[in-house]
Amino acid sequence: MLAEDFSLPKQTHEIFAVMARGNFISSNGSRDGMNRLYDVINNPDNFDRLQAYFNVIRYNIERGNNFFYFSKLHEPNSDLEKKLERFERYIDIIDLFASMDNKITIGSRFRPGEIAEECNANVRLKQKLQKIPLYRSETLHNKVREICELMSRDSYLELEDEKTESYKVLDSYTYLLDVVNAVAIYEDTGNTDNAQGLIYN
Amino acid sequence: MENCRILNRIVEINISNVKYADIELSGNTCFVGTNNFGKTSLQRAILFFYSANSRGLGISPSQKPFEEHYFRYENSYIVYEIATEDKPFFVIVYRHNKLVFRFVDAPYSPDFFFTANDEAMKIKEIISNFEKRGIYISNQIDTFERYRNIIYGTETDKQLSKFHLLKGNEKYQNIPKSITNVFLSSKSSVDSRFIKDFIANSLTTESSSIKLEQVERQLRQFNEKYSDIEMYLRKESQQLIEMIDKKYDQVHMLKGAQMEMADKLGSSLRFAETQNEAIRESAKKKEEELEVLEAEHDAQKEHIESKQNEFREEIGYYDRTIRDANKKLKEYKEKNIEQAVEKNADREKLQVELNIARREYESLTSNVASIELKYSSLIEQLRNDKSAYINKINSRTGEVFNHYNELQLLQKNEYNKRDAELKQKREESLNEVNAEVTAKQIEFNELKSEEKVIRNTRFYEQEIRNLESELAELRAVNYKNKSERAIKQNMVQTLQREWEALELKLKSSLSNRVNQTNNEIIKIRNEIKEIEGKLDVQHDAFYGFLEKNVKNWHQTIGKVVNEKLLFRTDIAPELKQEAADTLYGISLNLEPLEMVSKSIEEYQFDKNERLAQIRDLEESLNQFQTANNEEKMLAADKYGKQLGELKEDVKVLAYSLELAEKREQKLNHEFEDWNNRAGKEVEESLSGNRQRLNLLEEELSILSKKKNLVLSDFTHQLEKLKVYSDERLSELKGKQETEISELEVDKKNHVKEFENKEEELVKEKDSNFKSKGVDAKQLKNVEARMKELQEALKEIEQYSQIIHDYLKDKRETFDKLPDLIQKKEEYMKSNADLHAQLEESTRKYNMKRMELNKQKRALDEELIDYNNGINFYSNNFRDTPVYTKYSDIIERAESKRTNYHIMDLCTQMLKNDSHFSEEYGAFQRFVNEFAGKFRFDNHFNFVIRNDASQGEYERFAQNLRSFINENKIELSVAETATQIGLVTDSIATKVKELSGQKDKIQHIISLIAEDFKKAEFEESKLIEFIKIRLEESDNKVYKLLKRIQEFREENGLVYNEGLFNTDFATGQKREISTRAVKLLDQLRTAIKEQEQEEIRLQDLFELKFNIKEGMNETGWTHKIDSIGSTGTDILVKAIIYITLLHVFIKESSHRSSKDFKVHCIIDEVGQISAHYLRELLRFAKNRNIMMINGLPNKSGLESHYKYTYQFRREEGNNVRIFPSIVTEVEA
Repeated sequence: MLAEDFSLPKQTHEIFAVMARGNFISSNGSRDGMNRLYDVINNPDNFDRLQAYFNVIRYNIERGNNFFYFSKLHEPNSDLEKKLERFERYIDIIDLFASMDNKITIGSRFRPGEIAEECNANVRLKQKLQKIPLYRSETLHNKVREICELMSRDSYLELEDEKTESYKVLDSYTYLLDVVNAVAIYEDTGNTDNAQGLIYN
Repeated sequence: MENCRILNRIVEINISNVKYADIELSGNTCFVGTNNFGKTSLQRAILFFYSANSRGLGISPSQKPFEEHYFRYENSYIVYEIATEDKPFFVIVYRHNKLVFRFVDAPYSPDFFFTANDEAMKIKEIISNFEKRGIYISNQIDTFERYRNIIYGTETDKQLSKFHLLKGNEKYQNIPKSITNVFLSSKSSVDSRFIKDFIANSLTTESSSIKLEQVERQLRQFNEKYSDIEMYLRKESQQLIEMIDKKYDQVHMLKGAQMEMADKLGSSLRFAETQNEAIRESAKKKEEELEVLEAEHDAQKEHIESKQNEFREEIGYYDRTIRDANKKLKEYKEKNIEQAVEKNADREKLQVELNIARREYESLTSNVASIELKYSSLIEQLRNDKSAYINKINSRTGEVFNHYNELQLLQKNEYNKRDAELKQKREESLNEVNAEVTAKQIEFNELKSEEKVIRNTRFYEQEIRNLESELAELRAVNYKNKSERAIKQNMVQTLQREWEALELKLKSSLSNRVNQTNNEIIKIRNEIKEIEGKLDVQHDAFYGFLEKNVKNWHQTIGKVVNEKLLFRTDIAPELKQEAADTLYGISLNLEPLEMVSKSIEEYQFDKNERLAQIRDLEESLNQFQTANNEEKMLAADKYGKQLGELKEDVKVLAYSLELAEKREQKLNHEFEDWNNRAGKEVEESLSGNRQRLNLLEEELSILSKKKNLVLSDFTHQLEKLKVYSDERLSELKGKQETEISELEVDKKNHVKEFENKEEELVKEKDSNFKSKGVDAKQLKNVEARMKELQEALKEIEQYSQIIHDYLKDKRETFDKLPDLIQKKEEYMKSNADLHAQLEESTRKYNMKRMELNKQKRALDEELIDYNNGINFYSNNFRDTPVYTKYSDIIERAESKRTNYHIMDLCTQMLKNDSHFSEEYGAFQRFVNEFAGKFRFDNHFNFVIRNDASQGEYERFAQNLRSFINENKIELSVAETATQIGLVTDSIATKVKELSGQKDKIQHIISLIAEDFKKAEFEESKLIEFIKIRLEESDNKVYKLLKRIQEFREENGLVYNEGLFNTDFATGQKREISTRAVKLLDQLRTAIKEQEQEEIRLQDLFELKFNIKEGMNETGWTHKIDSIGSTGTDILVKAIIYITLLHVFIKESSHRSSKDFKVHCIIDEVGQISAHYLRELLRFAKNRNIMMINGLPNKSGLESHYKYTYQFRREEGNNVRIFPSIVTEVEA
């Protein structure tokens, strides 16, 4: 079946290029015309066509609250595990973000410097930031930067202004919150050998 | 000397590193020198003569500017000598801060500039020299523009006007531009783009281009505004706005409540702190008052009770006396005392009657006294015996009687004694019980009165009254607020209606104006079309025929012919000589007639005039629309602000009503609570009383039972005693009666014996009397009467003692009974009064005591409450963030009594704060999400920083509310709608302006093509032909710009109402607007993709060449660098340049001005072959153009030039320019 048969919008390739990387298309994203792409997918006619088209190549467009992403039909377990591992690292990050004086929520704009400054001034936050395990940056600022870069790569944040290094939280952050909220943490009692630290429901 | 005007010579004095150079230029000139020796610099200096623009000489920005590089010294000069038809003149260029010019009306001579020592003079000296010599030297020409005007013959100053090179027309600027362009582009490859640039640059000024940066900026601004509005109008955004508004209200309300509570807490704390001591003092005072009250009451009670006791004693005494009197009276009555007293009253009378009877008896018996005496003594004896016996018996009876009476008396006494004892015991017992009963009754009564007091007491009266008054005040305020809200809502509706009406008016006036203007434009367009139709067909029509064949036809046929006829192509006019100056053979005097026909220029003028009218109409429509928008904005500003304020007021009122309602509910609740508490308090107080009352009642009933029991017991004992006593008495009486009756019987028997004996004696006496003649019968009667009287007296005598006693008692007691009763009653009344007094005083005392107790209890409770509150505040509130948050309010609050407990306030504040945090978090989330939807620099300024304070978040919500209330989105929509109109209009105008020059291009191209045709290439057969043609531009941006212009013309100026999906967006309007937005968006993308800075004239068309050189034909192509060898390319390029230059000079100079020559400066022609060069020079010469070329070295080519100059570097880096001795082969 050819793309023309679906009367697809001309941004189809662009949409695929973003979402096939595992990224989201959020309505409040502005870089690379993300909001336009969102509008394109959000158009009911386009959505049905795109869905039908992508289903052929075993992708399914999932609709979140003001964002879209791909889910793979029959995804192998190994991929799922990788995904889960990715989410695991976000638990501490979300915890840090939610503990800030002004909680970082969808639409928030911030600079890594501000977060680092607040963490520096608040022991609790500093500990939380230092606890985040993936990063090796020496200064708090760099650590926050790396977090922001990671989140930007995963399309939860957007570097809105490179000059001022200002980030914006995208609508896809809801997805992250939902997944992380769905994680139930069980304490390891040590009684069973296969005791799991995390259960995803 | 040539007989035409030409730049004859250039002289450099102290210019750059040339000390002096005098170069002749009146023919083709060639500069030979290796690179960097100053060839180009000299060529630039020549170019400067033509262009007089130091910025347009191709000096790169990294190099020194022309002024600094060339004019290093005070005495640096460039002199340009211009040959004319008669004598030459020259121009001096020197630096006087900036470059200035002076014209000198004389041929150049070095003497003018140098001293005897060959030193260049200063300008002042030079000028004075000229003046001395009487040579005219112009004033200083300060501007390049003026210099150009002089050189190109457009100067109006007569003194200067002669110093011209040629007479240019209004387009003379093209000549220096063309010469410059040839020079500047001589090194580039030959590309049609260059030719385009050349032509375009020659035709346009720098400003006649569409600056894409500016367009992009306009588009970006529009696009950003459009996106902002679109985002704002989205459903999700509207939902978020609602949520923000709602949450803001909640947060605001909670904050207000918290602040109010903080204020109350602060007030309560201050009050508690200040009141602690005072309350303690008051409590102590109350206690003392209570003690005093109790003491007073006890004293009064004691006093009244002692009085009562006295009264009771008196009452007892009177009671006893009255009872005894009554008892005696009863006893006397039982003894028929009244009869006895009555009989006693007859005693005296009976005694008198007895004495009379005795005397009568004595008189009767005086004759028979002895007999009488004998018998009387016998009878008397007998009687005495009898009396003695009777007496004896009587005494015996008396003894018995007395004995038994004594026994009875004893018995009675015993009984009485026992009875009295029992009664006393009974009395005592009863008294005991009664006392107990009385005490209980008193207590009972006290409790009853206390209950009454309690029932009449309003507990928490102050609080309830406060609440009542607060409720009343609140209701009054509510009522006021409600009516105010209704008024304001009415005002809002009225204003909204007014606003809508005004908007409608503005809208309709705009649409009327638009329609009117569009109609007018259509009308004018039709007229233009008509004129254009005429102009198009005029060549082939009657008009064209007349133009070609009839001289001054406007003066003849033009006056009589129908205009329509002039433009008919089907009437086949033919010139017939015989009918000349006649109308079908009839001669007419046409002098007085006006001309009907118009010249082409007049038609052109008409067309231009109409176009100007359209522009004016559009301009005025634009202005009208702007004014309309402004009016709209003013209205929005005026009404929006008012409405916003009113709506805000309504909201505030609604909010305060809501608060008031809540407060009322709360107060009602509190009121109920206080009432319940008061009721409970009453119940609690009463329940204690009731229990005690019940107990007392029970006790009283027990006591009454006990009393009854005691009474019955004693009655029983008394009855028993009485029965026993009665039995004993009756026994004694029986015995007495038996013994007495026995004695009586005995007595009777003996008396009878005595009476019988007496009778016998009487009979004997009577018989004796009879015998002696005495009336025995009368005697007997007297005796009987005497006896009777004696009996009566005896009977009376019997009751004498009792009557005596009775009379005594009567006198002493019975007669005083009423007084006694009255006295008793008086005492009883006084006692009752005292009792009432005591009761009243007890009641009062109880009330007062209760009141004091209550007050004291309240004070104690208050104190406890305050202390507990302060402790709670210190331990559980002071260290929390809530305190920190509201510390200002708490610490600054005035000391004031509130109806709230400190502890409750603290708890409530802590509870509220957690609720507030939740609500505020949600509020913050909504604000972030909403602001995040917009660009950071959105034109609504919906931005919130991450570290924004609460105040900033609240201000955001307030601003958003004002934005909605003032309907600023409408303004923004109107602005954006105007902006899209302006943007498209501006683009359309610019495109139109630029496209307008396309005709000129077409004209130039046709001239060039003609010129190419005229070229005598055939002679050498080197170049067979050079063809040039114009094609449509394939510039994407320009195409889009063009589409926008077409769109603008198609749809007129106003198509903004359907810009957004608002109420008035109709289908068609929406479609047009969507197309406009889409076009602008495409243009913006294209500008971004193309990265072009501006759209110039050259972007409007494509130029293609077709050149055939020998066997090579390029075909229609943009580039002509692949024609053949490099030399061929240079040749073709030079030919094209010369052609261009020729065409432009021809176009830009006055027709009368023909005798002049200009130079074409092309550097680096070294690779051209001699044959070609010759061809080229001839080609130029035929067009009155002299070539100035540069060669890297001598190669024989220089022989084709009239002048050849060589460059040599000397000591001190100076360059010497000297003429090379060559012979011109052909010039």
